[in-house]
Amino acid sequence: MSTTRRQFLGTSASAALIASLAGVPKAALAQSVSPVRALTLYSRAQAANPQQYQAAELIAQAWGDLGLDVTVSGLPQNQLSDVVWYNRDSWDVSMWQMVGRPERSDPDDFVSNLFHSANIESGYNFVGYSNPEYDRVAEAQRLVVDRDARQALIYEAQDIVNADQPYVFLVYPTKSYAYNTAVFDDTTLVNQPGLGIKNFLSFIAVEPKGDQKDLIMNVSNELNAINPYYISGAGDSWMTELIWDRIMRIDADGLPTPWAAESVTWNDEGTLATIVIRDDLSFHDGMPVRVEDMIFSLESPQRAGVAPMYKPFVDPIVAMEKLDDRTFTVELAQPNAAFETSTLSKVNIVPEHIWAPLLDALVEGETAESVLEDSRVGSGPFKFDRWNQSEVVLSAIPDHFAAAKVDRVIMRVVLNVEASLGMLRSGELNFLTDYTGDPQLLKDAADADDSIAVVDVTDIGFQFLGFNCRRAPFDDPAVRRALSFAINRRLIAGAAYNGFGRPANSHVSPALPFWYNAATEELPVGIDVATAMLEDAGYSIVDGQLHYPAGMTEQY
Amino acid sequence: MKYVMSRLLYAILVLWIVGTILFFMFRLMPGSPLAAFIDQTTTLEQQQALIARFGLDKSLFQQYTIFLQNALQGDLGQSFFHRRPVTEVVMEALPNTVILTLSGLVVAYIFGVLAGAYLAWRRGSTVEGIGIPLALATRAAPEFWLGMVMLAFFSFYLGWFPAGGANSVGLEYDSEWTRIFSVDYLHHLTLPVLTLAIYLQGLPLLLMRSNMIEILQEEFITMSKMKGLGSRTIVLNHAARNAMLPVATAFALGIGSAIGGNVVVETIFSWPGIGRLLVNAVSASDYPLAQGAFMIITAVLVAMNFVADMTYHLLDPRIRHAASN
Amino acid sequence: MPQAIEPMGTASTDQTAAALLPHLATAPRRSGLIAMLGRAGNAFWRVPRESNYAKVGLIIYLIFALTAIFADQLVHYEPLEILFADNYQLRRNLPPTTDHWLGTSYSGRDIYSQLVMGTRSALAVGLTAAICVVAIGTLVGLVAGYFGGWIDNLLMRLADIALGIPFLPFVIVLASFMGAAQSNVVLGIALLLWPNSARVIRSQVMSLRERAFIEAARVTGAGKWRILFVHIAPNVLALSFLYTSVAVGWAILTEASVSFLGFGPSDTVSWGYMLQDAYASQALGRGQYNWFIPPGLCIVFVVMAGFFISRGYEEVLFPKLKG
Repeated sequence: MSTTRRQFLGTSASAALIASLAGVPKAALAQSVSPVRALTLYSRAQAANPQQYQAAELIAQAWGDLGLDVTVSGLPQNQLSDVVWYNRDSWDVSMWQMVGRPERSDPDDFVSNLFHSANIESGYNFVGYSNPEYDRVAEAQRLVVDRDARQALIYEAQDIVNADQPYVFLVYPTKSYAYNTAVFDDTTLVNQPGLGIKNFLSFIAVEPKGDQKDLIMNVSNELNAINPYYISGAGDSWMTELIWDRIMRIDADGLPTPWAAESVTWNDEGTLATIVIRDDLSFHDGMPVRVEDMIFSLESPQRAGVAPMYKPFVDPIVAMEKLDDRTFTVELAQPNAAFETSTLSKVNIVPEHIWAPLLDALVEGETAESVLEDSRVGSGPFKFDRWNQSEVVLSAIPDHFAAAKVDRVIMRVVLNVEASLGMLRSGELNFLTDYTGDPQLLKDAADADDSIAVVDVTDIGFQFLGFNCRRAPFDDPAVRRALSFAINRRLIAGAAYNGFGRPANSHVSPALPFWYNAATEELPVGIDVATAMLEDAGYSIVDGQLHYPAGMTEQY
Repeated sequence: MKYVMSRLLYAILVLWIVGTILFFMFRLMPGSPLAAFIDQTTTLEQQQALIARFGLDKSLFQQYTIFLQNALQGDLGQSFFHRRPVTEVVMEALPNTVILTLSGLVVAYIFGVLAGAYLAWRRGSTVEGIGIPLALATRAAPEFWLGMVMLAFFSFYLGWFPAGGANSVGLEYDSEWTRIFSVDYLHHLTLPVLTLAIYLQGLPLLLMRSNMIEILQEEFITMSKMKGLGSRTIVLNHAARNAMLPVATAFALGIGSAIGGNVVVETIFSWPGIGRLLVNAVSASDYPLAQGAFMIITAVLVAMNFVADMTYHLLDPRIRHAASN
Repeated sequence: MPQAIEPMGTASTDQTAAALLPHLATAPRRSGLIAMLGRAGNAFWRVPRESNYAKVGLIIYLIFALTAIFADQLVHYEPLEILFADNYQLRRNLPPTTDHWLGTSYSGRDIYSQLVMGTRSALAVGLTAAICVVAIGTLVGLVAGYFGGWIDNLLMRLADIALGIPFLPFVIVLASFMGAAQSNVVLGIALLLWPNSARVIRSQVMSLRERAFIEAARVTGAGKWRILFVHIAPNVLALSFLYTSVAVGWAILTEASVSFLGFGPSDTVSWGYMLQDAYASQALGRGQYNWFIPPGLCIVFVVMAGFFISRGYEEVLFPKLKG
């Protein structure tokens, strides 16, 4: 005999029933309570992100038991951005995700950007969460260079978010990567926290065992650019970091380490970095990498309208100065704990002789993002060969100081998830870098085939539901908490993410163990808890419908 | 000649009207027309500048005249997603689509004509009793479902054919021709062509059969009147040749309609053709590209309708006679 | 005329039927609307008795119609309900069992119940679209054929334009423009598919209007519209019906394709939706034939039934084609 969700949610449903019965006399006394409107929960379309869509449906079911009428609406990415990101005042609740990137191995990006009130208008704080206390902590953690002191602040930021629940954090997805053990020596792969085996260090360190010296990986979306001033999606950022070097790179321990620089040294105040560049660097067109190129690379995104995506990362810089042919200084207005991670490890070193004229030629309304530099000259361990509709081909630079062991990196665009798995099985792919399908199928494939190995990693990024904190009733932290606690994360992780995700309740992932505040894991869950919280806050469930406290009326 | 000119004019008129409908549909679509182009980090000023750059701040009518002028010069605008001229992106995909469609049609028509003639010859037999419902059934099967079944069986289960794409990983060719004529390309082409052919063969089969039957009846009547009951095969040959004319016209029309219908087959097999381009462009709200791809598909359809018209006009004396009256 | 061949290629013989119709139309006597309809009704019932094709087609339709009507009684679960096992785990990817006749989907839904409910939306889309298509087609055909002149010219040029628009791409663009709803798919089908029936009906009307009984009606002082709708229209009903049965199939195929490509509504279970779900959830690689074969077969059967019926009617009413 099967159990349907209605049956197993039965206990909670009866709780809601009791609550609603209890609510009747209240409503009879105070006739002024008005019901909460019907809600639309936005999500990616089911076809594009089945896990997210399913999570949304589970949430809608759970909230239904709290007396909310929730309809799930699956939209394509662009329409979803349009509804939620660009029209910030008019939505109520939406599924969203933040993805892991190498520079996010420092918590600063998420901690300062997601919930700071300065970003409500057009920045990352699209949910419109505003709390001066949080702003203070988020700003303070940036200025503290001492790691333990900063840890305390990062913990505090997580506690505030936990108390206010601007997001319903759902899971830190477990990402699965797979590779062909017959082609690659598995001891040479580098497993980076939060990123797994698919990272820059792996790509240059991995050693082929036999004649197959091409690393063939996949990406599940079409690329729309390979441009050092632009990140248009995951796939192209993997390519840019191979083609263009950075001054520092994130090392296997998740911390930044000098890369194109021999050394990066700071003054005691933490406001002036002296950078000595390597003397063995050259661009793929043969020109040497000079101090001027480094300064140009850090300075050009500061100009208005050149590289909007990179501008925030270089904005802390107030001055740069060339000391000699191998040395320059970077001056900041104030100490910045994340600067090495989010600026020096992020900004691509571009050749001034190519990009200066290109940037000068930009017309009004154009940014460097729309420039097509077909040759794509960098100084990284791989040079750009070609890019057509279906693949990007890079070839290794043998005399790079960190020369790769493989001959080429080929990134194949495979839109169909099933096809990418099939290609891994047939050997057409030897490194599955972008698998969005059923993780169980990948496990099965690995079990059936000795030459396929799967490596899982907990993501730095997370899946969540955002409340529009501008709009009642979501402007009330008590309501957000109640709605959040009504959702069983374990159920979401199991049912929507097939067990391949870790229940989440913080914007700092456990993939960053030093910064992760494990105390946030303890949260009460259940419809009864949620109902009690709502009633404490003055809300009532009448006839199975959630009502505002007396005196409050529906504004929308 | 006058007839040719008037049909040609209609063809151009159709293109113009379709272009106009599309233009207004995409301009009036809900959501920012630049949604696909504007990143989550672009500022309001940058959005304004972009809107000016794409001429979206002009009046709808001004935009329309600019669109028409550009389209006449073969300029279909700039793709938001690919950041390249639409014409360029579309022309890269078109050869793949044309090859897929033509191969599918050729296979379908060779099979359909032979099988149709055979069924006409075996009229009233069990073969016909099974053949016709079968032909109707394949015409009733959704193309994408046929493709799914083929993919599940021949690719994922048996592993005989690649799961999608047009070329294997990492192969490089000197020219487009060497790419298209490579064994690798053929290997990738097989399943999509087969899917398309199974779907398309029903029409020529049924058409051929009914034409054959009709002509055979006339022929046999004449023959029996002449009392010279000659070789059956000669009659069959003669009838087959005459029955081919409508089939040939249907072939031309088939190119036009199949190119539009290819959308699903291309999507199933990740075939880098114009149909998949259109679907992707529509779902990414890349409307210059969607518009461009749609226009090219329409142009092929209209051109093929025109060709079919002309073939019929030139080859069928009855029609020629009617038109001259 | 080549245009008379259905460009989307349906029953091969339609174009020949059109050519033959003027001779075949059973020289109608002067009579009232009721008698005309009565005769059409007789033809309706005569056909399945005389043609096996029509018989099989109608039986298939009947089965699907009954399934659609009693869908609520036939399903075991809500088609979109996410099912859980006792241990709070999703009941996903189950093979067929006595509990789940066709197993469950990746998202833990009962496939059999979806299949049954899909019948309803398939028939709803198919019938509404077909009625729209044929209603427009018949009306245009009647008006163009009877009045001729510039009206005819205008309407036939409109038909040219509609035939010049790529069908499936147009419906996709329309669905993304107007929103993913089945009514928009129906609209797209209605806007583009009417010319086929309009042309054939027009040519029959053109020959009918020269007949003696029409002349007689005219002499007795019947108005233009009366002649058109009372005397001529009933004579093209059989032809309209023929096109309806084919258009049902086209509409279902189109709706399935549009849903499959992800432009369909995500809250309505249709066979196209099921196939899209199966494809996106890797049913192909998992070899879940129990998931993606049944909806496809249902589409084949219901569309084929339309073809069978139209074929049967051609055979009986226009017997020269039977050969």
